[in-house]
Amino acid sequence: MDLRSLGGRGQRGFGIVGILLVLVAIALLAVFPQFVKKPYVLHMGVVLFLAIIQGQAWNVVGGYAGQYSVGHAAYFGIGAYTTMMLLEMYKIPPWWGIWAAIANAVILSLVIGSITFRLRGPYFVLASISVAEIIRLAALHFRGLTRGAEGFLLSEIPALTIGDLSIEFYTKRPFYYAALALAALTIAANWLVQHSKLGYYFQAIREDQDAAHSLGINLPVYKNVALAISAALTAWAGGFYAMFVKFIDPNTVFGLDVSVQIVLICIIGGIGTIIGPVIGAMVLVPLSEVLRNPKGLVQLGLLPQDSALVAFIEARFANAHLLVYGILVVVVILFAPDGVLGVIRKATARVRRRAGAAGEPATAG
Amino acid sequence: MTVFLQSVISGILVGGIYALIGIGLTIIFGVMRVINFAHGELMMLGMYATWIVFTMLGLDPFVSIVLVAPLLFLWGAFLQKVFINRVLNALPQNQILLTIGLGLVMSNTVMLIFTSDYRILTTSYSSSSYTLGEISISQPLLFAFLITAAITAALYWFLLKTDTGQAIRATAQDRDAAQLMGINVRAMSVLAFGIGAALSGTAGALISPTYYIFPQVGSAFTLKAFVIVVLGGMGSVVGATLGGVLVGLTESLAAVYVASGLKELVVFVAFLAVLLFKPSGLLGKTRA
Amino acid sequence: MAEPILDIQHVSKFFGGLAANSDVSFSVEQGMIMGLIGPNGAGKTTLFNCITGYYPPSKGDVLFKGVRMNGLQPDQVAHLGMVRTWQKVRPLAKLTVLDNVMVGALARTNSLKVAREVAHEQLKVVRLAHKDQMLAGGLPIGERKKLEVARVLATKPELLLLDEVMGGLNPAESEEIIQLILELRKRGLTQMVIEHDMKTIMRISDRIVVLNSGEKLAEGGPREIADNPDVIAAYLGERVE
Repeated sequence: MDLRSLGGRGQRGFGIVGILLVLVAIALLAVFPQFVKKPYVLHMGVVLFLAIIQGQAWNVVGGYAGQYSVGHAAYFGIGAYTTMMLLEMYKIPPWWGIWAAIANAVILSLVIGSITFRLRGPYFVLASISVAEIIRLAALHFRGLTRGAEGFLLSEIPALTIGDLSIEFYTKRPFYYAALALAALTIAANWLVQHSKLGYYFQAIREDQDAAHSLGINLPVYKNVALAISAALTAWAGGFYAMFVKFIDPNTVFGLDVSVQIVLICIIGGIGTIIGPVIGAMVLVPLSEVLRNPKGLVQLGLLPQDSALVAFIEARFANAHLLVYGILVVVVILFAPDGVLGVIRKATARVRRRAGAAGEPATAG
Repeated sequence: MTVFLQSVISGILVGGIYALIGIGLTIIFGVMRVINFAHGELMMLGMYATWIVFTMLGLDPFVSIVLVAPLLFLWGAFLQKVFINRVLNALPQNQILLTIGLGLVMSNTVMLIFTSDYRILTTSYSSSSYTLGEISISQPLLFAFLITAAITAALYWFLLKTDTGQAIRATAQDRDAAQLMGINVRAMSVLAFGIGAALSGTAGALISPTYYIFPQVGSAFTLKAFVIVVLGGMGSVVGATLGGVLVGLTESLAAVYVASGLKELVVFVAFLAVLLFKPSGLLGKTRA
Repeated sequence: MAEPILDIQHVSKFFGGLAANSDVSFSVEQGMIMGLIGPNGAGKTTLFNCITGYYPPSKGDVLFKGVRMNGLQPDQVAHLGMVRTWQKVRPLAKLTVLDNVMVGALARTNSLKVAREVAHEQLKVVRLAHKDQMLAGGLPIGERKKLEVARVLATKPELLLLDEVMGGLNPAESEEIIQLILELRKRGLTQMVIEHDMKTIMRISDRIVVLNSGEKLAEGGPREIADNPDVIAAYLGERVE
């Protein structure tokens, strides 16, 4: 990749304009349910926000610190199972249970980190996959603890009472707001990381581990911090998912395709950026949802009940979302390894060069 | 004692087939330094091809290797020329993701065409076994093992004695030097991927009389292949051979002495242990 | 006499059967410039690696400010005040020039603001301040080397190890670096410099250590070394590149 073609400008997030845009978007999304009441739309919103959260979480360790874990399902699943089991077996409401889930994930990440961070590049990837698989297989096998392949079915979530206010969790609306808040939080967390010493150190590790080491960066500590943050946020998403979807089993939350999807969200949007996972989620989620549930397009009022397109997708493409994922990965890696954002950046750099903007580096030397 | 011996023998027989998969993967890695995450899917394609040929032409799976192996070779060569070749100089993470993507496309396309129904390929000898005292040796597994041994021997001869084979080894050892010596390294990469795919597909054909055939069967074998290759040392054909047998043994013994449901988990744990303590493999080659 | 800032005592480093460094001993006084020379493969970079914790010596001791460094990690070494540049330059490619130097500065502070100021300062010292927003990966080789120097300077070191920092530079750029090195000595920074160009080494070094095939061949002032027949023989024996 010719870095000069990127216009030579460093990526610093999007500055004040960017922050304002994000805040405006969040505000719009917050009032959205006042106007659109269809539960399916709110459902899609939650799914979208969840994908954003997963992507933002992975970004910290994969995008910034450059440690490509393809085993993040381990943390997602731990979050899901901890929250679910605490609720179903001990009647602990999820707003408390989630903290235990996060704690579990952080501890797990420290263990996994100490094992896998000694490895580099592809070996690290392989190890991260192995760990997630070990956990999945264990969850399937130790039925006494986890109910094995049977999984957990959520009975009910108690209402949350804060003072006079009582929030029930039967409809989609409270989930929508909770997910939106969480997504906003993870985006903020990413922004904070990027603009802190942590962010600089993570990126230094990504760019050149040995150089970073010799500049005073304690590699194990910082890698583990990145992973811990990432694991905590991923587990949060996992716990939320369990409460929202109301059923979990080892293959759905610990599976390799969960891990792959998480990585995809970041790759498609643009690795190591704040907006990347958002874009990636906005591409992946509608795509996979349309394929999984084409009737959804009818529910959204976009297509008539008897649409031939819906029938076609239903007949041929049920569960083809993985196929589309695969094609997407191939296309993105081959033609746009820096994701959508990379494509945009290269395009704008080309435009800027043609406009003869001042301060462009001369291609000398 | 019989249980132990039985377990050992079954493990070694299956291990031979695993070795084929591992050898294919290690050749690909040796020549191109690419970690092929779609390796199990190549085996899955071999299984389906064998099944199709069996169902439509009545060809015995072991005989159909004559068709399946070249078919997979061509497919592997195609994949390398069109896709893998473009990422030879990319970040290893991107290479891995590309092969993961290709694997997803392969397994899900097969699912679209054949549905996820489990297929079984039953031959006249699928459940037959020879008896040696108190130990029973599965016939199909024994045949598979013998064929594997023959193929492995042929492969060694190819790599050691023929010009092309030596060219492949030279490319694996030092790509730049090989190029300077006039070896067409691009062609070697295509060849390597083709051979790797052919070996993997052959393993699929060999195991088809004794294994369920379904679109997702590949992923378990991909991971197993990696364990084998890391155990034996990335790029070492001998290592992969031994590693395959070792993994087969470990699985078999674990199924008996730990718990059947945990046998794969044990392999993964062993894998992590090797990655941590002897990343250059049990036979210890340099690159780690 | 003051304790030397760096004391190398009988350091050996083996890779399998190969002795990359063999019983090397010398010390570096505070504030001096020590030249480290020798034909290719003499073990100079290996010695740097041993000193800075990239890997530990197989035998012997490395003492920095009287503290035994064996087994310390590179980040600990950096915090104690010793840093190095790399023979094959290592920019943090996707970060800007300024961010690169800030990473160095953050070794001494947790405040981004302070780090930014320090970074700006160091960039001015190496005359790269005008390119502070450029991505490091887009810089030509000469500027990458200057960037690396700025980056290690930002860690406020007491001992700086420069590994062929002038490799690949044109005469004008090399002269800049030489002036920088001399200026840094004036400011009290101790430096050890690996260089291939004899004239440069003679010019800037207070003392020189000569390695050959992993062993210390000679040590002394520039004049002594230049007249040393063993040294001349070692270099003449080296194949011309």
